[in-house]
Amino acid sequence: MVSAVYDHLVAIVIVGAIFISTVVVVPTLSFINLQTVDQHQLRNLAVNIFNAILLDAGEPIDWGSMDPFYMNDTRIRRFGLASAEASSPYVLDPDKVQRLVVGNPLNYCDYEYVRQLLGLEGYGFQLRILPPFNVTCTDGTPITEKSPIEINGDDLSYSIKVTYLDGTPLPNAVVRATIVCTSSAGSWTSGLEIITRPAVYTNPLGICSDSVELDYRARDIIVILRISTADVATLVVTFGTTPADDIAKINFVGDTLILTMPDATPRAARWVDYIIPVTNEEELEFLYNGTRGVDDMLNYGSFRVWSRQFNGLRKRNPIIFILAFWAVIQGEGRREVLVAGPYQNLLGYTVFEYGEQPDTMSDSSAVRIQRNVIIAGYTYIAEFWLWKE
Amino acid sequence: MKKLANKSAQIRVIEVFLASFIIAFAFSFANIMTGLPTSPKYEETELEKVGYNTLYDLDKMGLLPRFIYNEEWTNLTAALRVLLPYDVYFNLTIYYLNGTKVNHPPILYGDPQAFSDSKYVASITYGLVNCPSRVNATYYRAIYEPRTIILQLVRR
Repeated sequence: MVSAVYDHLVAIVIVGAIFISTVVVVPTLSFINLQTVDQHQLRNLAVNIFNAILLDAGEPIDWGSMDPFYMNDTRIRRFGLASAEASSPYVLDPDKVQRLVVGNPLNYCDYEYVRQLLGLEGYGFQLRILPPFNVTCTDGTPITEKSPIEINGDDLSYSIKVTYLDGTPLPNAVVRATIVCTSSAGSWTSGLEIITRPAVYTNPLGICSDSVELDYRARDIIVILRISTADVATLVVTFGTTPADDIAKINFVGDTLILTMPDATPRAARWVDYIIPVTNEEELEFLYNGTRGVDDMLNYGSFRVWSRQFNGLRKRNPIIFILAFWAVIQGEGRREVLVAGPYQNLLGYTVFEYGEQPDTMSDSSAVRIQRNVIIAGYTYIAEFWLWKE
Repeated sequence: MKKLANKSAQIRVIEVFLASFIIAFAFSFANIMTGLPTSPKYEETELEKVGYNTLYDLDKMGLLPRFIYNEEWTNLTAALRVLLPYDVYFNLTIYYLNGTKVNHPPILYGDPQAFSDSKYVASITYGLVNCPSRVNATYYRAIYEPRTIILQLVRR
């Protein structure tokens, strides 16, 4: 009798243990499976959304060039950045890309609106457009933090380091510099000088340098560096001097260049003196020479916006513009000032960044995908992050 | 004698064991058979898309035919390194139409062992017909010389 009780007790204990372990193990297995399914769904969703962004022109197909464009324009029925005119995939429309530049004075689509257009409620995303390789100062400091240009009297020199995106040096990259500078003589007739330098090559450490003696002591200096390896090129624009960022907001839509007076001090009028588009052609050409008349003035009130249409300009694929303004700089007085735009972050690793920052530590299930895209004739890497919130 | 009489309890224990095994097996079987899309498949598909995108881009820029028909292997390697994600290794082989290899030095980035060890190697096949050479401003000449490109990709 006692033995039967023991047997039953043992049976109950074993059954209990099996039941408890099943209760623990089965949901864990299911949870792991659910996580896997979740991850796959996220990846699938990311691929579909990224394809929609890069391959679809959206609706209307020219939504980036709509004039006027309203903040979070409700006329956009479908979102996509692809160029409607391009015959091949992964060619992005610069007008549409500019509509994602937060702070664009000609209005833009904010993150929440784009998220809604893409149907991504409950998800977070980030879209980044990166150059195919990194260009930094020789010590690895990003160009946004420190200019690679040194000016010593009339001498201008630069040293840069070119690396692959994983940080390994890129030897034998061809670096061609074009220097745009203004004279420090603050006269009414002060002009611009454009110097095109012969190519230099990066050494096995990915470093290259060049120097040039200028004809005069320069005041504002912009150096355009075209860096290419195996004919895949990127463009870096860097200032030799602290750039004045409150002269004008630059925008380019269709064939029209639009300048807007920012809310900044000093509130003095400024005149558009020169406009130089930077294209994938090495030689820079003047697009516009101002007259310093009322037509070229930018000021508060009715002169707040300056716009000109240049027929066929879009077809030349300008990636940025360099502009010379006759403007007042606080503490220095009126002089020729160089500015560049329209992309806000011309100098850094990232040409463009939109959306929230993925927290890769906590968002362990964040999905990252990459594609090569072409904007204004240059190849970039588009990176898309998607995660569940 | 009593021990023999209590066999029924022991049989129940064995029954419970068997039932548990059957249940556990059923769960495992159900988990296997749920038809979950396997991660490697997605990984391969993603790498295939990246690889095709890169080759297409190089072709569109006119660089791929130039590199291949002029045998500019260093430039081809550099271009692929620049355009492919940095955590991807590649191995590119070019073949004539009859199946013989064009490139004798391997066009490779990364550890060759990774291609044999990894279970998930994406393979992209891309065809080129020729490399048109410019005769004058309006006239290009092209001879039919097809090449087959096999690009293998594996993530680090």
